[in-house]
Amino acid sequence: MAEGQAGGSKPFDPLESFRGLRDIYLDTMAKAMVEAVNTESYAKASGAMLDTTLTMSAPLRDGLEKSMLQVLEQLSLPSRQDIVALAERFTNLEMCLDDMDAKLDRILGLSHPAQQGVPDETVDEPVARTTPTAKASPTRTVTAKQVSSRKPAAPPRKTAPSKKAARKNAK
Amino acid sequence: MEQAQAITEKVELLEERLRTLNKVMTTKAAIAQTPKELVWTLNKAKLYRYIPVVPMEERHGIPLLLVFALMNRPYILDLRPGHSFVEFLVSRGFDVYLLDWGVPGPEDKHLKFDDYALDYLPRAIRKVKSISGTEEFSMLGWCIGAILTTIYASVLPNDGLRNLILLTAPLDFGNKPDITFARWTDEKYFDVEKVLAAFGNMPGDMIDYGAKALKPVENYIGNYVKLWDNLDNPQIVEAWHAMNTWVTDNIPLAGGVFRQLIVDLYQNNRLIKGEMNVRGQRVDLGKLQANLLTVIAEGDHITPPCQSEAILSRVASRDKEIFRVSGGHIGIMAGSGAHKRTWPHIDEWLGARSSQKADSGN
Repeated sequence: MAEGQAGGSKPFDPLESFRGLRDIYLDTMAKAMVEAVNTESYAKASGAMLDTTLTMSAPLRDGLEKSMLQVLEQLSLPSRQDIVALAERFTNLEMCLDDMDAKLDRILGLSHPAQQGVPDETVDEPVARTTPTAKASPTRTVTAKQVSSRKPAAPPRKTAPSKKAARKNAK
Repeated sequence: MEQAQAITEKVELLEERLRTLNKVMTTKAAIAQTPKELVWTLNKAKLYRYIPVVPMEERHGIPLLLVFALMNRPYILDLRPGHSFVEFLVSRGFDVYLLDWGVPGPEDKHLKFDDYALDYLPRAIRKVKSISGTEEFSMLGWCIGAILTTIYASVLPNDGLRNLILLTAPLDFGNKPDITFARWTDEKYFDVEKVLAAFGNMPGDMIDYGAKALKPVENYIGNYVKLWDNLDNPQIVEAWHAMNTWVTDNIPLAGGVFRQLIVDLYQNNRLIKGEMNVRGQRVDLGKLQANLLTVIAEGDHITPPCQSEAILSRVASRDKEIFRVSGGHIGIMAGSGAHKRTWPHIDEWLGARSSQKADSGN
């Protein structure tokens, strides 16, 4: 101990030997457990446990669901099923809008062949202000707060008309 | 006197350690910091585009879409500044998009691979093409994301996919003795219908338990012991904090997908056998023709290497490669050595195949 301190190296730690023992124990246990969980008997036991839990909790879940449904009905409130149906309709609507957007893009591409493949908008692309070279590490001049739902900026194509203008022309 | 001072120092050190421990266990680390924009949404899915830091003329012409697993948050790809795969790719001149599947609600319990691969993915890809102004693109799928991208690439082989990167892809379920999950979900022991009848979607906590139970001592004890031993090392604590923030942020898996994953894949291995159908179409891996890079984690206990190897002999791609890395399922991409091994190889492979003109084997 004295030698270690005098030499300026790591001071004596009475727990060091305990840590060594602990690590050996954990390593051994880890290997044993990995082998144990990869056996048929573990698979069988865990499957049985899950099955029992689900079977025993099923009446409780059913009862809770039925009584909740009755309460909601009495209060003239929509049930979970009603909300789910509504959410599904919203998703279908979103898909219809997305399909329309795709068709519009295709029509625009056909009516303005030169513009085919041109990105959505023609504003300057938000390249980070201190533009580094290709191999440089990224510069964090733009904060994460800039995450927003606005349309993405696109590569600069100053001569091409904007998408809005193109749509107007198409009409 | 000296002994009293030594004891005081020890107590102060212990107090400091406990304060650090309390902080990392009870707060969330600042993660997913690379600047990005939301460019498309559908139901819970969101498509982000990362803001380029490289001038346009120096960028690669082909955009890259990152597709992560359905039951974990995708910000593992952008964990923390200086240790972010996304940040690395953006700095290397890639136009990077990330598809975040979001958190499925009760209304999404019927969603299947069919819906994700043939409704959501093609729409997000259309948006990527529209924004980047190119008909070709690259895709990187990780874990379940690799299953989705493989299905997509096989069913829609002419949709412009030039490069496909699969990370730790669970595609072949034939070697059951080596796949612990396959053992646990064997139809003899695991009743998928009973689980879904109870929960609708597969709860995130149950998935998390399943993943951790593969290595229980490491995950439930060793992980915290490692933290305790390194509480004086700010770098290790910061890395641990970020990873713990991701690991504890669990989300459920849509019931329909879970059923397919267990019945079609783990129990019957239908994808690699060419017997899997999505929307009535057979998923024929022989139609996959994009340039293919399969990254395998040698120490992966969630997706053992045997699950990712068979695909290379099934696909029609002329340009295909297996890249083996030492490490685990997550460690190969988010571990401390990822920026030295996995990321540079992906950058090199993808960069060589991402110029506007057709310059590769395909």
